[in-house]
Amino acid sequence: MRTTQFLLASVALSALTGCSTISGWLGGAPQAPVAGTLVEASKPGLAVTVHDGEFAEIQQFVTPGGVSVWLVSEPSIPIVAVQMAWKAGSASDPAAAEGLSELVTYSMNEGAGGLDSLGFQTAMEDLNMSFSCAAGAEWTSCSISSLTDNAPAAMALAATAFAAPRFDEGPFERFLREESVGLKTRETNSGYLAWRATTQALYPDHPFARETTEESLASLTPDKARAHMRTLMTRDRLIVTAVGAVSPEQLAPLIDQVAAGLPDTSTIAPVAPADLTKAPVAKVIVDLPQPQSLVRFIGPGIDRNSPDFFPAFVLNYTVGGGGFESRLMKTLRVAKGLTYGISTSLDPNPSLLTWSGGGQTKNESAGEFITGVKDEMKAFAASGVTEPELADAKAYLIGSYPLGFDSNAKIAGQMMSVRQENLGVDYFDRRNKLIEAVTIEDVNRVAGTYLDPDRFSFIIVGQPEGIEMPALAGSPAP
Amino acid sequence: MKRSLAAGLLALLALPAFAEEAVWAPSTFTLDNGMEVVVIPDHRAPVVTHMVWYKVGAADEAPGKSGIAHLFEHVMFKQTKNIGPEEFTSIVQRSGGQLNAFTSWDYTAYFERVAKPQLGKMMELEAERMVNLIINDDPGGPFISERDVVKEERRQRIDNNPGVILQEKVLSEFWKGHPYEITVIGRMEEVAALTPQDGLDFYKQYYSPGNAILVVAGDVTPDEVRTLAEQHYGAIAPTGTVTAGRKWQPVTPLAETQLMTHADPKVRQPGWTRYYTGYSQRRQPADALALEVGLEILGGGMTSRLYQSLVEQQQLAISANAFAWTTLHDEGPAVLSASPAPGVTLDALETALMAEVEKVLAEGFTEKEVVRARNKLAADAIYGRDSQSGMANAFGAWLAIGGTVEEILAYPDTVRAITPEQAIAAVRAVFGSEKHYIEAHLVPAEGYL
Repeated sequence: MRTTQFLLASVALSALTGCSTISGWLGGAPQAPVAGTLVEASKPGLAVTVHDGEFAEIQQFVTPGGVSVWLVSEPSIPIVAVQMAWKAGSASDPAAAEGLSELVTYSMNEGAGGLDSLGFQTAMEDLNMSFSCAAGAEWTSCSISSLTDNAPAAMALAATAFAAPRFDEGPFERFLREESVGLKTRETNSGYLAWRATTQALYPDHPFARETTEESLASLTPDKARAHMRTLMTRDRLIVTAVGAVSPEQLAPLIDQVAAGLPDTSTIAPVAPADLTKAPVAKVIVDLPQPQSLVRFIGPGIDRNSPDFFPAFVLNYTVGGGGFESRLMKTLRVAKGLTYGISTSLDPNPSLLTWSGGGQTKNESAGEFITGVKDEMKAFAASGVTEPELADAKAYLIGSYPLGFDSNAKIAGQMMSVRQENLGVDYFDRRNKLIEAVTIEDVNRVAGTYLDPDRFSFIIVGQPEGIEMPALAGSPAP
Repeated sequence: MKRSLAAGLLALLALPAFAEEAVWAPSTFTLDNGMEVVVIPDHRAPVVTHMVWYKVGAADEAPGKSGIAHLFEHVMFKQTKNIGPEEFTSIVQRSGGQLNAFTSWDYTAYFERVAKPQLGKMMELEAERMVNLIINDDPGGPFISERDVVKEERRQRIDNNPGVILQEKVLSEFWKGHPYEITVIGRMEEVAALTPQDGLDFYKQYYSPGNAILVVAGDVTPDEVRTLAEQHYGAIAPTGTVTAGRKWQPVTPLAETQLMTHADPKVRQPGWTRYYTGYSQRRQPADALALEVGLEILGGGMTSRLYQSLVEQQQLAISANAFAWTTLHDEGPAVLSASPAPGVTLDALETALMAEVEKVLAEGFTEKEVVRARNKLAADAIYGRDSQSGMANAFGAWLAIGGTVEEILAYPDTVRAITPEQAIAAVRAVFGSEKHYIEAHLVPAEGYL
């Protein structure tokens, strides 16, 4: 456990509003500052709240320009990684314009200001930096990585993308060519086919079921993308996390520079939740000529605020989240040799709460595989887990938690998740206690409520045998 | 990442980033029984990555026994004299650990990632299965069901995927007569015939401390690792059975040019690829790195010659790449590949792509391009340090094929020293017009598009 000795300075003390106490600091010889190319903010008084947690020392501050930032300063590798996110994504694309938010994010590193696509990409390579954006269903995000020496120049280049993005015709037409190929290749992609069958069976009218089509792509224009970018990316909804060899005072002006070109606010309608508890249970086979069948099963999940959530999270380890320690793996892989892997997970996204899982097996054994999954679910619903199983689950979930904090990239991602889900800056420190508090009565109650196989839809993609169901009409025509 | 001293203080001046740079000092030593040890300190979090690499892989398999190195790797999780059936994983995960293993032609590696206090226990477990593995020979038992699991793994990785099916055929032809000829997971019919005795024979021949490398990355010092390693691994006597040496041999350059086509009902987008005989960083270190720099310029990313010409200007492709497999012990392929834009034939794509390659061969690279490419490769090495397990993998894989820690530490300087002349010379030597190649076409099955 390394101890980083930060330099003590009077300006910092006056600005300190942290929840950790300064009396905890025992001193130590201040180290001589090392000259770098980063310069300090000239404005004094950046208020930084320091949360000295068990897994990360998180510095929270609001930049002079009003952007909320969580930073972990990590000096041991000379790199800086910044993640930005805005609540609003592809589910909020305008009607019949599916693909628009994807076009926006695709275009963000394709030219800005005086630089066209090649000029922008070349400038990034000259700085050994990366900058890219992506659109999820409900979040739009961008990330910037650079070597510490190049951080000011890297952030300045990214700033031009937010202030003066070009949305040139060339990259736009390339986007359409790529999408056109994507529309064809997805027709035989088992994961896509399973996703599509799931959406059509369970929530066909929800925004999460929307997808690009030839018609929606034909409706897109660079001008629409330019306008939609100003809707997606605004200063009031921007959240930022960063990890790297940088201090709050160094980072704040760089973030302000990046965000300077964004509009203050915009109007985005929130996504209404899809309610799987009211959806019909489906059984769907999608024909695909390949030796294995992909089997996906999906049922209603649990909100984080429900008292059932942490019991379910712990239970999921024994069901299918714990690798070889899960009963589904022990039965379907180890005992029966039916699959290379099977797993389950809980998705606590309030817009679509699910408990789902899946695996692949040769077509000849698809029926046996599904029967095996259902038999295990029935056993959980009827008898729950054993005390040793619960103890093992807790031991792993608690004991392995530090492994998620051993790199800058992981810490940045963990902080972003906490911010996006509004879990609170102390979540990392509370999480293991919430797991420890789960009792076997909790777990077995939850198993009885949620793991009845009749609550789950089964989606099979392949040419499965041993399943008595008609193939889905309208499956992809080879 | 708890910092016990720095509670609530702000870093107001420049952080001592570069003062700490010098502290990053991976080191190596050897135990008396011949087991090599590599320590990669990384004190950011109180966790460690513990790996044992064996210098045996699919390249060492006997004729007709393809897949044994990989299937055996699965069997290593089953049972030992002192660890009951399937208990190995239970013990690691109960200790808060993550574990897995992987097999290549050149090596087999096992790893656990755990909180630092568990490191000694992980060594105890790996040492146990180095010497006390039990292979159950019940004809309806765990070896047989694990063989079925590997068959499912083969279907999932290869047989479901038309592009991978074609690549398996091409690489088998590329390495014909070489120990890399058969894919690591093995031929389905040979895997199906492997027996518990095959597993036991393989274990007895290759699993020994003198044939192993221990890699520990994370919150440790070399002295701590030495003490624990001597305690857990130091007492294991070498078996003395690893005497044959590796089956590595130089790869014979392709002697003729051929076209291989795979048509499949699942293909919706055709693909064009050419495989040339390339270099290995072990056998031709200078040429291989020069080739890496050259291929970065030719087809490494959006600024590359191929991308700019085929995707941006002529709009004949949606992707165009050049890359080489240089990290195997023996020579691997150097590859040109492209995916056509809608309505473009593979012939038209090939003509345009090869015209761009020939232009490069004739005119060479600019100094600016070479500086940019080699800086990118050097910077990638710095970014790579962010991943503790990635670092453990990089050191283990390189040492397992005979490389040194010093070579890895020198890599950024080595790559930055490559000149434009060296980069183009390597590209010319591999892709020159007189060179033979295997061209691979992935196409939709008749009547499916």
